[in-house]
Amino acid sequence: MKVLHSLRGQIAVGVSVMLVVLWLLAVLGSGFVIKDEIDESFDAALQETGERILPLAVVELIGSDDATGAKRILPIAQHDEKITYVIRDGQGQVLMYSHDADLRVFDTVKGQGFVTTADHRVFSRSAVSGQYTIQVAEPLTHRQTALRETVLAMLVPLGVLLPLTLFGVALWVSRALRPLAHLSVALRVKGADDLTPLKLPNLRSELVPIQHAANRLMARLSRTLEAERAFAANAAHELRTPIAATLAQTQRLVAESPQGPLRQRAVTVEAELKRLARLAEKLMQLARAEGGAMLGQGPADLVPILQMVLADFARSASGRIVADLPKVPVPSRLDPDAFAVLARNMIENALVHGTDRPVTVTLDAEGTFAVTNDCDTIPIEVLSTLTMRFERAGAQGSGSGLGLAIAAGIARGLGTDLVLRSPVAEGRGFAVALKLT
Amino acid sequence: MRILLIEDDPGLGGAVRDQIAAEGHMPDLAPTLAYARDLLATMPYDLILLDLGLPDGRGIDFLRALRAKGSVTPVMILTAHDRITERIEGLNAGADDYMVKPFDLAELSARIAAVARRYAGNPNPLITLGALEIDLAAHAIHGPQGQIDLSQREWIIFEALLQRPGQIVSKSQIEDQIYAFDSEVESNTIEVYVSRLRKKLGKDVVQTLRGLGYRLGTP
Repeated sequence: MKVLHSLRGQIAVGVSVMLVVLWLLAVLGSGFVIKDEIDESFDAALQETGERILPLAVVELIGSDDATGAKRILPIAQHDEKITYVIRDGQGQVLMYSHDADLRVFDTVKGQGFVTTADHRVFSRSAVSGQYTIQVAEPLTHRQTALRETVLAMLVPLGVLLPLTLFGVALWVSRALRPLAHLSVALRVKGADDLTPLKLPNLRSELVPIQHAANRLMARLSRTLEAERAFAANAAHELRTPIAATLAQTQRLVAESPQGPLRQRAVTVEAELKRLARLAEKLMQLARAEGGAMLGQGPADLVPILQMVLADFARSASGRIVADLPKVPVPSRLDPDAFAVLARNMIENALVHGTDRPVTVTLDAEGTFAVTNDCDTIPIEVLSTLTMRFERAGAQGSGSGLGLAIAAGIARGLGTDLVLRSPVAEGRGFAVALKLT
Repeated sequence: MRILLIEDDPGLGGAVRDQIAAEGHMPDLAPTLAYARDLLATMPYDLILLDLGLPDGRGIDFLRALRAKGSVTPVMILTAHDRITERIEGLNAGADDYMVKPFDLAELSARIAAVARRYAGNPNPLITLGALEIDLAAHAIHGPQGQIDLSQREWIIFEALLQRPGQIVSKSQIEDQIYAFDSEVESNTIEVYVSRLRKKLGKDVVQTLRGLGYRLGTP
């Protein structure tokens, strides 16, 4: 049940169930007490009735000259008789009985005082040295009805009070848990990269340790992420200079060597060094992308960043890129450097894996960035693996195999999805797109 | 061109210096900002190649100070800082171009040539001078009789004049172009190379203005 998954629901239902159980126990206990009281009261009435009727009956029997069997006392007015009675002589012969009396009820009763049969309460009393005995009977249903109606009268308010109680408890719990709800909302609305401390005034004392613990955790996480970022940046920086020096020296070696096997070997070393440089660069970008923290200090316009990236490609891939950029700024929370890395990798991927036909780069005013290239249709099972590390598609797979993995990592850091599509039109093409705002 | 290369890594600095020299320019290598300031105080440069992380300070601060003093010498940043925001910061500080390490030496040469052309007011690498067709990027000259080959120093002098068409270029300016900072300068060297240029390209290609210097003519 969904309501039981919330603290508020659990408390409301728990309190209500407990209230019902306690009420029922109270009604049960009261029922026993009331039953005793009803029995006592009804017994007293039965005894009083018997003791009042017996002298009158004795006087009537002594004064009567009719000795022809049991005499039935007719009612003054027709009514249902609740209390019936019989008068017996010393030998147990019935001398007189009330008009609705069922003699079978009385036949099984012996002795004085109260006796309870299967369905009646019977009171017996003798007078005139045992020559006359009165037995007064009252059906047990009479008492049971009284008890049932009393208990029902106690239960009826519960039916009315229970919904009111549930509502009241829910309202009270809701008010009492409001600071907890504020804390919950404050934690929920924090973005994946928002590691600033929570500042909630007037927090209940029970919740202050939670806030402190959450802030400590976020501070620790922030330090760790910052250290990771710094390491990736420093490692990239420190690696670049020796690689650049080695590559430059090798290129000079190629330029200064005479034609022959030595020069050819130097050319091979140069090519391998360039490959090493590219791979080191991509691995560093991947480390940064998978380290999360892709959000910048504040919204930044993506258009000039993309223009700068496109200007770089204009040198190496002049004429192959068709760009469609909006005339208005496109602010995004994505870190500008991360966007540059993302755009560069998506465009490089399209240039390396596409045919010689133009690569289309679009950024619309709503912040959707897409890169499309011409190629044969990529099967769906291959498409789903392209964002994995070191995955290359197609026969022209000369890239690092990390470009789309880096792009997917950045997309994840931003909390969005990298959408891959093939074919794009007329059974050909491949497109990568994601929403950046 | 006379180029000041500010780079603290001896391996990279040496290779870039050799590449620049091979392209016909005159490089001076400064491993620190202090040394670079000393060189700038004594020598005019056509281009500065600037690393950002140097032992005695940040290259970006050096560039800002340079621009604050009113220097218009083109500056190209060569750095291991690859972030786009760092590039924007560098360009905003007054850099003319920005290259991230590791880079291809051929691309560096092309960008140096592009910056030089931009500052000479002629971004087109192809120049027509009378009957001569000159490709500044390829260091190639075609005359009526075909390709004309120039030595490295001849090319440096000719390029110095091409970059300042109609202007007088003093002898000392040309000497600065062809001699490294610590080289000995012989008194009649410039005249010898100008004479060779006239022989190869035509006697009117260089005009001599006595006591003032030289000017590009039309062969």
